[in-house]
Amino acid sequence: MGHHTNDGPITESLEDYLETIYELIRDKQVARVKDIAKIRGVRMASVSPAMHRLRDLGLIVYNQREYIQLTPKGEQVARKVIAHHEILRRFLRDFLHVDKKIAEQDACQIEHHISDQTIDRLVRFFEFMDTCPLGSQVQEMFKNCSEVNPELPACMEECARYDAQMRLEHEQGNSLLSELEPGEKGKILHIKALGALRQRLIDMGLLPQTMVEVERVAPSGDPIWLKVRGFNISLRKQEANGILVERQATA
Amino acid sequence: MAAEKAVGKKIKIALAGNPNCGKTSLFNALTGTHQRVGNYPGITVEKKEGRYRDDDWEIEVIDLPGTYSLSSYSPEERIARRELLRDDIDVVVVVADSTNLERNLYLLVQVMELGANPVLALNMSDEAHAGGQRLDVELMSMLLGFPIVETVGHKGGGAKLLREAIRRAYDNPTHGERFSFGPQLERTVMRLAEKLAPLLPQPSPPPRWLAIKLLERDGELGQWLRDNVAESAGLFTDVEKEIEELEKFGRTDIILFIADNRYSFLSGLLREVRISEMRADSRATSDFVDAILCNRIVGLPIFFAAMYVLFWLTFTVGEWPMRLIESFFGYLGNTIGGLWPAGSESPLRSLLVDGVLAGVGGVLVFLPNIILLFFGLALMEDSGYMSRAAFLVDRFMHRFGLHGKSFVPMLTGFGCTVPGIMATRTLENERDRLTTMLVLPLMSCGARLPIYMLLIPAFFASRWQAPMLFLIYMTGIVLAVLLARLLRSTLLAGEDAPFVMELPPYRLPTLRAVAIKMGQRSWSYVRKAGTIILAISILMWVATSFPRAPERSVEQEPILAYEDDASRDLSYSLAGRMGKLLEPLTTMMGSDYRIATAMLGAFAAKEVFVAQLGIVFSLGEADETSTSLRETLRRHYTPLQAFAMMLFLLVATPCMATVAIMRKESGSWKWALLQFFGLTTIGWLLSVAVYQIGRLVIG
Repeated sequence: MGHHTNDGPITESLEDYLETIYELIRDKQVARVKDIAKIRGVRMASVSPAMHRLRDLGLIVYNQREYIQLTPKGEQVARKVIAHHEILRRFLRDFLHVDKKIAEQDACQIEHHISDQTIDRLVRFFEFMDTCPLGSQVQEMFKNCSEVNPELPACMEECARYDAQMRLEHEQGNSLLSELEPGEKGKILHIKALGALRQRLIDMGLLPQTMVEVERVAPSGDPIWLKVRGFNISLRKQEANGILVERQATA
Repeated sequence: MAAEKAVGKKIKIALAGNPNCGKTSLFNALTGTHQRVGNYPGITVEKKEGRYRDDDWEIEVIDLPGTYSLSSYSPEERIARRELLRDDIDVVVVVADSTNLERNLYLLVQVMELGANPVLALNMSDEAHAGGQRLDVELMSMLLGFPIVETVGHKGGGAKLLREAIRRAYDNPTHGERFSFGPQLERTVMRLAEKLAPLLPQPSPPPRWLAIKLLERDGELGQWLRDNVAESAGLFTDVEKEIEELEKFGRTDIILFIADNRYSFLSGLLREVRISEMRADSRATSDFVDAILCNRIVGLPIFFAAMYVLFWLTFTVGEWPMRLIESFFGYLGNTIGGLWPAGSESPLRSLLVDGVLAGVGGVLVFLPNIILLFFGLALMEDSGYMSRAAFLVDRFMHRFGLHGKSFVPMLTGFGCTVPGIMATRTLENERDRLTTMLVLPLMSCGARLPIYMLLIPAFFASRWQAPMLFLIYMTGIVLAVLLARLLRSTLLAGEDAPFVMELPPYRLPTLRAVAIKMGQRSWSYVRKAGTIILAISILMWVATSFPRAPERSVEQEPILAYEDDASRDLSYSLAGRMGKLLEPLTTMMGSDYRIATAMLGAFAAKEVFVAQLGIVFSLGEADETSTSLRETLRRHYTPLQAFAMMLFLLVATPCMATVAIMRKESGSWKWALLQFFGLTTIGWLLSVAVYQIGRLVIG
């Protein structure tokens, strides 16, 4: 009788069993049906059918009254499930600040269904949040408001501090470049735009302190036409929104 | 040395510069007509190479894509710097627009950072002089350490001096030693470069440059470092620490801080060497013209008038030489065909006349359109009007996920898809360009008009004819808009490329530059797309002529009243068989194998559909005004079926010339095939849906 069907379905509960076996072997060097039943909180009688099934799938080596061992493939599956579990738990606990116990439970549920891509993105997300200087700042802000203040909207305001600051400057007579009328001049104060747009603006010499003049707008009001450093460029209003200027008195 | 001189030197130089700095005209002035134009593999960026001789030196010139900087945000920038990093580039000629020095020299600074061996060409110096700017070029050259010449690209002025400067730079290379940042940044860059140097594999970009790019958090190089340097993780931590310190010191973010350092160097330099500045009113004429051409009220009407002239030039004037070419090939066909005895069935005769000649004719017949269109486009581009046009219509196009500069190609598409696709070269951004190319066949081209002219009067009462035609054209436009938006959110998704676009002062285009541009594009059409079109048209000939129907024998096969020889031959041929094979698919949209066979003909050229219909219905030679063909069609099909047919021909199976030009312009078969099968699938689904739903509604 050939027991080794390679791609039979591994159910959620089988994955859980594999995980338990792996952890037992890792922590106590041996895995017995008795220990498994104890950890999973089930009767020993219900463990053995699962063990047979795992054996049939070629994931464990199991004979009655012997220690259970993982086959290389079994170990691989177990490691993957555990890795998923760890990543999810970290995400739930460290980023979302979910209660420890709930994080554990939810991770157990999600780990079986999550796709490789999502896991991969989560890992990259961690990496990003760790490397990007803004990442830790944002994490800190979210942590404070999620723990101290369960009413999220209240701390949303705090998160919008940058914008508020911009708005403040705005109220002090400063404008977005997109708000300048044809013929008006402004001095660039700040470039909010990010990424490719920011780089392009800087490469074209639109730096803080540079003077710009709105020469005209297109027939439909967008894009706008600027005079900067003695040459003409056009940009869309949406892009001009990314530049804060100090309006200059027109002669 | 003497021996070496006798052999001569072979050196390689690259031309770098901002868009609109007159780099191309300088390239023309250097290389004359010894140029090759191609694409960088797999992308739509144009690759231009040329060569010239200077005494016994042989100099190969690469014209890099125009860029404002050497960051890695656009494919042009990535290509420019990849080429500059090649270690076989001996000299880099940085071409700068003298009327706009600060910004143009910003690129020079980056070339110096890269450690390349530069020569600076102060181009358009005539304009700068006229505007009142005087520079101490000698002092500037002394300060920067490499040769600098003033040139007037479009008149070829200064070319001789430039050639000489290139040789001097080759003999006494510099590597940007005279450029340095402010002390704070400079120290950091040196520190990082020292740390990097021992870790780098060979060959590597210069460590100093890598250090700068790391500080700028350059994506492409970051990835390169992760892939090639084992200890990169620690490096990145160091870099982030340095950035943090610099940002604290400069009270700004790092990108701005570095840019500021470069601009400070430049303004310091220019303060030294600029004897007098450009007068503020030096662009008054150009500004005055803009005040009219880009006026909020009359700007658009003027633009549409310009478009009308462009169209009139391309398609109305183009019709004369087109007819001439057609009749020449007709004459040639008759002459060659006449070499065989009358009534001959020789396959060789048929191959020559119906396959090869028809194919060559099919290639050349587009040539007048293409030459004239590119003449017009070159005028628009070189004069500076193209960017104004984009400014005027960008809002409208942007709503559909396209760019202002997509307008002209799309409009051209109503005349013919092939020059339309070629005209997308004016779009700098790859995603914008691909989107435009992919949806362009939905602009119902001139060759599809005969189909509508045949079918609409045959099936619709005269008061419905105009609305019907309008409906068809509008369907194409609406589909193009929807498809463009779909593409921009799926296959070609991504942030919009910045529209930030320079509007250079108006300049008189020179005949020479326009002629070179026109010639290159026409020639590349004939050579690249032409060969594919010829091959496909021979294949189409094979498909419609073979296998031949056996001689008719009355006992086995009674002569059917509705079938003449031509239609019998066609139905026996590969195309006829394929038509029958495809019948289940066409049945769902209400057509039969005859229509399917005729549609296969439409792949050769859309208007061939009409002639093929004539053959399958045994009516001999037919055109779109043939009443007998209309009668026959009316007997066989309902208006609904005819409408589904037109929809299919509008959307599906772009013609073979389109497929060929798409392959050529996009640089890969992938996009050409995606377009062909994608549009065919959409066209089929649409016609089936219209027919099936229509049948339910009408009952």
